[in-house]
Amino acid sequence: MRRRLLRDGILLRSIVVTILAFILVGVATIAYTAHAARIQAETQSRVHLEQLLDTVESTLRVACFVKDVQLAREVALGLLSNTEILRVTIHEGSFILADIQRPGNRGSTDVAGSLVRSINSPFIEGDVIGRIRLTPDPEVIERRIRDDIIGQALQLAWQLALIAGAIVVTLLAFVIHPISAMSRNLHAMDPTAGDRLQKPPGHARTEIGNLVDDVNALAGSLVQALEKEQALRLQGEMDERRYHAIFDNAESGIFIVDRAGRLTSWNPAFARLLGISGDAARRLSELPWAAPEEIAGLIEAAFTNRQPVSIDARLQPPGRPRFWLKLVLSPVGSDILQGVAHDVSALKEAEAAARRQALSDPLTGLANRASLEQQLGQRIRQHHLQPGRGFTLLHIDLDKFRLITEGVGVTAGDEILRAIAGRLGATVKSEDTLARLSADVFAVLLQDLDDDGHIDKVIERIMNSLRQPYLVDGSPIQLTASIGITLFPSDGGDAPSLLRNAELACDKAKLAGGNQAAFFDATLAETAEQRRHLENDLRQAVAQRQFSLYYQPIADLARHRIAGAEALIRWHHPERGLVPPDQFIPVVEQSGLINEIGLWVLDSACRQLAEWQAAGCPHYLSINVSGRQIPDGLPPQAVAAAIARHGIAPERLALEITEGILLGDIGVARAWLLAVQQLGVRLYLDDFGTGYSSLSYLKRFPLDTLKIDRSFVQDMQAESSDHSLVEAIVAMARSLRLRVVAEGVESAAQLQMLEAMGCHYAQGYHLSRPVPAADFAEVVAGIDRRLAG
Amino acid sequence: MTTPTRLLPLLLLGSLAGTAAGEPLVVVVSAQQRIERLSQEDVTNIFLGRFRTLPSGLPAAPIDQPANSPLRAAFYQQLVNKDVASINAYWSRLHFSGKATPPRQTNSDGEVLRQLLSQPGAIAYVERRQVDARLRIVFEFPP
Repeated sequence: MRRRLLRDGILLRSIVVTILAFILVGVATIAYTAHAARIQAETQSRVHLEQLLDTVESTLRVACFVKDVQLAREVALGLLSNTEILRVTIHEGSFILADIQRPGNRGSTDVAGSLVRSINSPFIEGDVIGRIRLTPDPEVIERRIRDDIIGQALQLAWQLALIAGAIVVTLLAFVIHPISAMSRNLHAMDPTAGDRLQKPPGHARTEIGNLVDDVNALAGSLVQALEKEQALRLQGEMDERRYHAIFDNAESGIFIVDRAGRLTSWNPAFARLLGISGDAARRLSELPWAAPEEIAGLIEAAFTNRQPVSIDARLQPPGRPRFWLKLVLSPVGSDILQGVAHDVSALKEAEAAARRQALSDPLTGLANRASLEQQLGQRIRQHHLQPGRGFTLLHIDLDKFRLITEGVGVTAGDEILRAIAGRLGATVKSEDTLARLSADVFAVLLQDLDDDGHIDKVIERIMNSLRQPYLVDGSPIQLTASIGITLFPSDGGDAPSLLRNAELACDKAKLAGGNQAAFFDATLAETAEQRRHLENDLRQAVAQRQFSLYYQPIADLARHRIAGAEALIRWHHPERGLVPPDQFIPVVEQSGLINEIGLWVLDSACRQLAEWQAAGCPHYLSINVSGRQIPDGLPPQAVAAAIARHGIAPERLALEITEGILLGDIGVARAWLLAVQQLGVRLYLDDFGTGYSSLSYLKRFPLDTLKIDRSFVQDMQAESSDHSLVEAIVAMARSLRLRVVAEGVESAAQLQMLEAMGCHYAQGYHLSRPVPAADFAEVVAGIDRRLAG
Repeated sequence: MTTPTRLLPLLLLGSLAGTAAGEPLVVVVSAQQRIERLSQEDVTNIFLGRFRTLPSGLPAAPIDQPANSPLRAAFYQQLVNKDVASINAYWSRLHFSGKATPPRQTNSDGEVLRQLLSQPGAIAYVERRQVDARLRIVFEFPP
């Protein structure tokens, strides 16, 4: 059917086109032929008539000459015997000699194409004596033309028939048949099985052949594309299966939301998270969110922005605890959102806890320093926006709280701090803010208290409240506090300066003996400023080596001679001259410069010892070590390095420590002391008697020598309590195999008493003030002489 | 080459005229007739049967010299440049229709004159020296 159509199609069209073309050509040709044939027939007819006339001309001339009608008639009849001639008319002048028409002819006599010829005289050339008119028979001409046309048309017809036949045969043989064959083969062909079209015979290099090549190439590429597509589909199916597995097994909830906000698909994890059962479609915002309008807004935003959006949303499922979900909605195409949900409750809780912790003190639950600073900043900003009455900031520092925790233990100390927080809370108004700034430091932000009298009442209340005994394991403990007071806006314009000034005021109260309150005043700031100056000068002093060591001799009371010396630091200020140690040592200790200066002292002392050693002088030398240098400011390795560097005997070096270091972390202090003792260095306990003076320390720590504080020695008189105390200390030390140095010996009487008590060494102005190294040898020689004398 | 062929008839003409009479031929009528002059064309039409009347209204009666007279040959030769055979053929073609008749044939010069004078519309050609008072020359061949 299709093949027939194909064949019929091309063939039919070709034939129709050919016939049409031939008809056109035929009509044109015949039209032309008709025209040409008419011209030719007329010309022929005229020539023929002319020839006829020529044959009868001489007779005609004669007939005309003599006007012989009979002769003219004979000529005319002779002419009419020719079938082409319809009528003959012979005139002689105006006289008609003959006018004869073929009988029975219906044609008009005045036919175009009539031949008229003049007749001359037979004797006088150029003398026209008549004329003859020959009228041709149009029917004869028409018949001739018709015959011509018919002949032409017949010729044309068989020529065209021949050409059409040739075209049909050519088309059939070279086009239609090969195409039909190809079509048949294409129907039977299976390209995937490797089948390809064969070229029809004889068409290897024709367009048909090229078409076969093209079809084969197309088949090849289609097969290739098909295979690729199949591979892709296979891959796609595998991917889909894999993604489906991920979808089903994911911990996170995965879901799809349509344009209307309806859930169209979700994975088991999502159902689990939200407690969805069944497949019933529902809106995402209909789930038990704490704020469903937030979810609806999120969906709208995702569609509008065409970007992923996320939110942490809280759920309140009935009968289950509230929890948080992190929702991420990503638009896929224009009508679908892909959503992911995970449970972030744990994270949220941790965040909340962290936030609370960041702003509050975990021990007491009060605000911490950061929180207080925030609130101060807020109050100050408020004040700037809406100036009104200021506020008061109290800095409350417990007096000697560290000693108490040492005594009762850290846990009990925390108990007390919590109790203090409670008491403070009870003494202030609810709008006031309480904070714990550091271990034993609290702060109170009092609202609307710019009246000093009113402040005093509050302070009194706080002091009283704190003064009440605290029960620790059933035993009462007494506490006092120092309070610094600053007023906003008069005492500082911002939070840091208010806090600092409150602390300065508190320091002032503490310096005044504690258990009292002090208002901040400008001099405090000034003092602090001076101290900062001093600190700067000290830094410069370290850099420029403005320090030097003085040496105060120490006498061996048994041998009556100088045994060694204590190295004491002196500062030669370029403007202020020699600065006493008590004016700068506290600053050095607090600023951290102590470590650098301490190392310098160690190095200088070792160098001095090396010099003495080289000079054959057997004195030992002690240096002071601050509690702040232990353990890292002066590590035992640094001591060992200094000893090695200067090549001194370690037992000639003594380090003087105070009871302070024994009150800190005992383990650390003990380890440091043992390490230093291992080096062979002696350890002295300085200022013994002024501090805690626990006998247990003396047993627990590897000490060599006690130095009795000058306050005991200075006031020592015969039969006085100090005398007994010193005597007792010496006796106790001896029993513990410790040596004793008595400091502050200012008289010969004291020296004798000490000697009598069995005290091993003495030091003081009675013997010598601290002297520069250059004077030391001379001073020692003088003392030795005195003692020997 | 063309010149000799065209000259040949003229030479022939000259020799004929000379040998025939040496006298020019003229066309004459009876002096009593009211004809004064005829053109060569008139003469041709009258002698060759076209005009059957004279300008004077009389029926024309041309008279020929004897058939083999040199005058006759000379006359037609000069008049229409044809020889005697052609003239004879011409008349024989018209003979059967009977419409036109050739000039009357005479047997001699004398008969020409006699008929000229006896017939009312007679007209003939003669040698100039034969012309006398009874006759009137109506046409002369140009020299």
